[in-house]
Amino acid sequence: MKHVTNMIYLFRKPGLIGLLLFFCLAATVAQQSTVKGKVTDEFGEGAIGVNVLEKGTTNGVITDFDGNYTITVANSQRTVLQFSFVGYNTKEETVNGRTTIDLSLSPSVVNLGEVVAIGYGTQTRREITGSVANLTSENFNKGVTRDAAALLQGKVAGLSITSGSGDVGKNATIRLRGISTLQNDQGPFIVIDGVPGGDMSSVAPQDIESISVLKDASSAAIYGSRSAGGVILITTKRGSASKTLVSYDGYLATSTLANKPNMMSADDWRAYAKANNQDGSMYDKYGANTDWFDEISRTGISQNHSVSMSGGGSKNNYRASFTYLQNEGVIRDNDLQRYSFRFQFQQRAIDDRLRIGLTGSGTLTDKNEADTRNFVLSYNLLPVYPIKLNDGSWFDTREYDQGNPVRNQDMNQNNYQNSLFYGNGDLSFTILDGLDIKLSLYKSRHMQDRSEFRNSETERGRDAGGWAQRTNEKWDKNLMEWMLDYTTSFGKDDAHKLNAMLGYSWEENEWSKARVANRNFVTNMLGANSIQSGQGLRADDIESARNMNRLISFFGRAHYSFEEKYMITATIRRDGSSKFGANNKWGVFPSASAAWGLSQENFMKDMKWLDDLKLRVGYGITGNQAGLDPYKTLELYGTDKTYYDNGSWKTAYRISQNPNPNLKWEETAMFNIGIDFALFSGRLSGTLEWYDKRTSDMLYTYRVPSPPYMFTDMMANVGDMQNTGIELALNWNVLRSKSLSWTTSVTLDHNTNKITHLSNDLYTTSRVYVGDAWVRGGSGNTTHVVEEGRPVGQFFGWKFIEFDKDGHYVMEDVNGDGQISDDDRTYIGSALPDLTYGWNNSLNYKNWDLSIFLRGTVGNKVLNHPRMAYAQPGYLIGSNALNDPLIYELKEVPKYCSLYIEDASHIRLDNLSLGYTFNTKNISWLDRARVYVTGQNLFVITSYKGTDPEVNMDRNNGLSPGVEDREFYPKARTFSIGLTLNF
Amino acid sequence: MKRIYKIAISLAASCALLLSAPSCTDLDETVYDQIPSDSFGVTQDQINSIVGPVYKTLKGFWPGDLFCLLEETSDMAVTPTRKGGDWWDGGVHMEASLHTWTARTSLVRNSWNSCMEGISRCNQVYAIIEGANMDDELRTRTLAEIRGVRAFWYYVLIDMFGNAPLATDFKDTELHGVTKRTDLYKFVVDELNAIKDIVRPEVNSSSYGKFTRGTAYTLLAKMYLNAEVWTGTPNWEGVINASDEVMKLGYSIEPNWKTSFLVHNEVSKEIIFPITFGKSDGGNALHYRTLHYLDPIALGMTVGTWNGICAQPDYVKQYDIEDNRRTGSFLLGPMIDPATGNVLITAHQRELIHTIDLTTIENTEKDGTLWGEVNQEDGGRANKWEYEVGLASSDQENDYAIFRLADVYLMKAEALLRLGRDNAEATRLINIIRERGYGDTSHNYTAATLDDLYLERRLEMAWECVTRQDMIRFGKFLEPGLWRPGKTPEYRLLFPIPYDAWQTNNKLTQNPGYPAF
Repeated sequence: MKHVTNMIYLFRKPGLIGLLLFFCLAATVAQQSTVKGKVTDEFGEGAIGVNVLEKGTTNGVITDFDGNYTITVANSQRTVLQFSFVGYNTKEETVNGRTTIDLSLSPSVVNLGEVVAIGYGTQTRREITGSVANLTSENFNKGVTRDAAALLQGKVAGLSITSGSGDVGKNATIRLRGISTLQNDQGPFIVIDGVPGGDMSSVAPQDIESISVLKDASSAAIYGSRSAGGVILITTKRGSASKTLVSYDGYLATSTLANKPNMMSADDWRAYAKANNQDGSMYDKYGANTDWFDEISRTGISQNHSVSMSGGGSKNNYRASFTYLQNEGVIRDNDLQRYSFRFQFQQRAIDDRLRIGLTGSGTLTDKNEADTRNFVLSYNLLPVYPIKLNDGSWFDTREYDQGNPVRNQDMNQNNYQNSLFYGNGDLSFTILDGLDIKLSLYKSRHMQDRSEFRNSETERGRDAGGWAQRTNEKWDKNLMEWMLDYTTSFGKDDAHKLNAMLGYSWEENEWSKARVANRNFVTNMLGANSIQSGQGLRADDIESARNMNRLISFFGRAHYSFEEKYMITATIRRDGSSKFGANNKWGVFPSASAAWGLSQENFMKDMKWLDDLKLRVGYGITGNQAGLDPYKTLELYGTDKTYYDNGSWKTAYRISQNPNPNLKWEETAMFNIGIDFALFSGRLSGTLEWYDKRTSDMLYTYRVPSPPYMFTDMMANVGDMQNTGIELALNWNVLRSKSLSWTTSVTLDHNTNKITHLSNDLYTTSRVYVGDAWVRGGSGNTTHVVEEGRPVGQFFGWKFIEFDKDGHYVMEDVNGDGQISDDDRTYIGSALPDLTYGWNNSLNYKNWDLSIFLRGTVGNKVLNHPRMAYAQPGYLIGSNALNDPLIYELKEVPKYCSLYIEDASHIRLDNLSLGYTFNTKNISWLDRARVYVTGQNLFVITSYKGTDPEVNMDRNNGLSPGVEDREFYPKARTFSIGLTLNF
Repeated sequence: MKRIYKIAISLAASCALLLSAPSCTDLDETVYDQIPSDSFGVTQDQINSIVGPVYKTLKGFWPGDLFCLLEETSDMAVTPTRKGGDWWDGGVHMEASLHTWTARTSLVRNSWNSCMEGISRCNQVYAIIEGANMDDELRTRTLAEIRGVRAFWYYVLIDMFGNAPLATDFKDTELHGVTKRTDLYKFVVDELNAIKDIVRPEVNSSSYGKFTRGTAYTLLAKMYLNAEVWTGTPNWEGVINASDEVMKLGYSIEPNWKTSFLVHNEVSKEIIFPITFGKSDGGNALHYRTLHYLDPIALGMTVGTWNGICAQPDYVKQYDIEDNRRTGSFLLGPMIDPATGNVLITAHQRELIHTIDLTTIENTEKDGTLWGEVNQEDGGRANKWEYEVGLASSDQENDYAIFRLADVYLMKAEALLRLGRDNAEATRLINIIRERGYGDTSHNYTAATLDDLYLERRLEMAWECVTRQDMIRFGKFLEPGLWRPGKTPEYRLLFPIPYDAWQTNNKLTQNPGYPAF
């Protein structure tokens, strides 16, 4: 068992413990007293290495060999000691004048004493009244991970994280409890160490201590107009006064294409030509057999090295870390390198009443984004074409959607250099006992410098005679937050606990951009580094832009609990945003929730098998303003390229939009009921929740008549949407012994999404056709509808029955008028799953640990667009096609219909990790050494015929999800070997 | 409890402190990269930059969907479905050619939207200029020009849709039902008469691309030319008078026919009302639409083209082989790779030869019609506007003449012929055009007939959006056509009001013959 090992290696370091004790004693002043005692585990044996912390401070010690500790505390009466250890329930004891405190820790899968971030504060798991899932580092996904999303994927019920691409620079789509907007759902709001609106990629996974997911509105509403998609709180690791630590974490990984489209080989293609009496003799001179998908892909090598050091004394603590990540994509022109620096320093003064913290972080990223155009070329190029001709020159062709993708990859560039820096200063002062005032100041700057170059000899660049573009963007954020926090307890045995918080927040975001492009270069040697040398500069090749928005908020929370039996929380937030229309500048977002700790009731005390039972109910109102761009509510002049006047072209200006001064946030009200339970000494625990989430004033761009309006579309707050769902998380400690343990955990969630309203008196729309399944000769195919009473992601088209003897589609005549027209289109499936699940098993045997993680979905449909576009004979033998029976069967232009809508239910062995922790008992300088091997994306079981059943859910602002595009970047299968060392 | 009071007081004090500072609740937006509407349009340069977009709306007329709808529903052009299904696009081009379009056909919808956005832009800018601080004489002329452009868009609506809502005041946010074709006709004629003496009469560089007196009279001539179709009452005298007014101005027939179609055709004295195209603003994408993927190799360009619209075979066959306008209008025959001197070979292993004929590939006919797939290289491509050698991934810069003097000559000739008056003058006018087309007098008429005039209009005006209007005026539009064996019902002389337009304005009523909304 892991924690047993931990105890052992700490036990080997009496020197360190002594040193710590010395510091603790040295810090002792007059009214202090000393407390000692013994901590035992569930077997009655001394628990080694338990953290004993004076609550609210960094003053702490670690238990020795036999579980004994001695700690000097500031106040002999009121001081609360916190006993925590990985895998065990955290316990708190008020000193109350005692000098000896012995206690026993009980192991738990759900740690009820665990401190969980809840947004502008923390609570113990026992106190929480809302729906909050918390994941700590030992439960994170292993292997190659780029950001917090990769750590969480599949682990939290209701949080769906979809990787729509294998591109190492692309982020996953994150949705909590369904889609809640039609306006490019941004998913949950990210808060990093209390700073709202963070960027996940600014924290290296190795720096993350825990992640809280605020799932229901009663817990998320404290973040007001930005919280309708839920909130993810990321807490980074901090230094601890109890131990100084140098830690190394590293891995090496190789990635290969997990799956690729099954194209016709040269022989297949010749067989087709022969079977169909087509003369392909002009191609004989090539005679190659190229699998273009193989040629544009590779084995990607990745590595990650993370070093951190941390520690502290009784008055301070620190942590500094550096992480280097190099991640090569399986497609040849795709890679990422990232350097992350982070330091945190905290210090206390004025009798510990003043606490000051400083955080600095820098993330430097270099990445090359794959040109997905090369996938389209690889579908079309004939297998008989070579990459290079016999004389060593590149092969190329100008036929439609054709060109040499390998040449594109080798000679073109799409490079990003990003730097994100931020600094954060925290100041907290205890005015009175229990009353703190806090100030947080934050500034961040994110710069992105993008260089694109398309060589004039390549398919990408030949039309323009070479093309280059350089784009610089800058995002600045300034934030100031004030908070007053009051905690008290009163009554007999302090049975009544009260916490109140009030806050003010002022946030300003600014964005600016400068872009320059040029074309028609005399030479390709200069890339994007000498754009002035192009000969085709146009007026719209130069651009600069800038905007800002400001968000001002007042917020507060009150939490009351009685004997941990009855708990109630209420929050309120008032948000004002410069982006809102003049008529709707401020919004109020209230919430309330309550919990009943049933297991604390006397009548439940007899049920020994029941460790914990808690009922929770909550209601809250949250908002979303992500779909609202700055200046949308104003009547403004913007440039409109140029106009001709007397022999020259001059800059034109026009009023650039239909202003809508009524624009505001979208509002989501959510009702949530939950049960938390732990049974049989914590062997079986879990959470069951049900929610009803209703979004109103939904932003959508409506078509309006022109005239009288200048433009035919206008954004307005009109529609309603509903998500209801049920979530279950279960942990079962199947085996629990000293040498062997097995824990299996399952997360399940079922969500039903429905657009309930789209129209009002002013803006009406019944059914909007969205999405595009382009095939040659088939532009204007819409794939989905947005319609009242239907979910987002509703596929809509003809129902396929069979092919007739001529190879023509036979569709269902839905309206029975004897002919097949657009009116026969109908609902042919939803891209949203009925069930999303994750199943994790962790086994520990002596020094070995093994985790097996599977995840998947049931009931979702995916449009297999490549099959629709390329499993057809229309352009054979001039273009290649998928090696699919349809190329012999189908005899007309592909039609969008249910034939191509496939069941994408699947189960994926997402992660399998085997680790071994060395016995470092006899190595005095080494605390911990562990090696592991991890396999990611090992197999997928599905009936889906395309490349991968898990596809992009963001397409078309999220309105036409569930389509495997022709540009789909296939995913990688990755094997890694890693090493963790603690000194 | 004392402690609690203390806390309450300090909380209240802190809140008061925060709220009292005005900057703490300031939510005003600082607009950086655009300009609030009340602080722009102060100087003459700024006013000009606001008026510019009025003319830019004309790009919606040619060569996009509106152009396709006008030419493909006539017997001039067609966007055939090509081998494999390119350009099938759900049958929209088939619907245009086979006269089976509906209120949901995208070409119909997009054409309507081009007109409506043009009109809205005119109304919006009109309202701005009305209130702008500027020289009164200049304001009067600017407002007249805007009214002129708006009148042009109503002329297009009258021609295509007949009935349409009449909106002239940007501040009027009321939705309107359709105004009848005859009333719209009267509106346009009245507008043109009201502005024709205010707009500039000059024919020079500064008036090029503007709505001038020449434009006003040409548009009047167009109105009168079609008066019989549109109102039931002919006005051939009006055509003659308006044409005479145009001919009095500084325009002239260019001796070289091609001058009006060059990359830099702004020098042409024949062009009366152009859509100006430049690389900095784009819009002339005809080469993309019409050229085969490999044509740019033969033409010395590096653009990636789309292989779409081409000429109908019978239209090309009207041309005499000696008429320079035949190959001047259509790209025909083998396309040669300059690197090898050989004919280019397509991916279907066929020589890239643009045949006049379109050959339907067996068993590719759609939905029981004669419309099937044709070979990728079939059909004569647009060759009227000079292709820019070396053009790289860009729209063309050739301006497009909505009106040019040759058209005015032929309009006057038509009016004379219809009135049976002064055949010599009519013949002279036609011969001027014909002689230039052939390069000599050997094909001149001695006494031209109305049929001769009709043919001459077709030979001269290919790809210039007049064929449908001419066919309707000459009673030929409803006759069978390419892959269209039957006659077209008469209600299809008008296009239907698009379904989408009705969706946002329920006061619209559908044109007769089409299913009511």
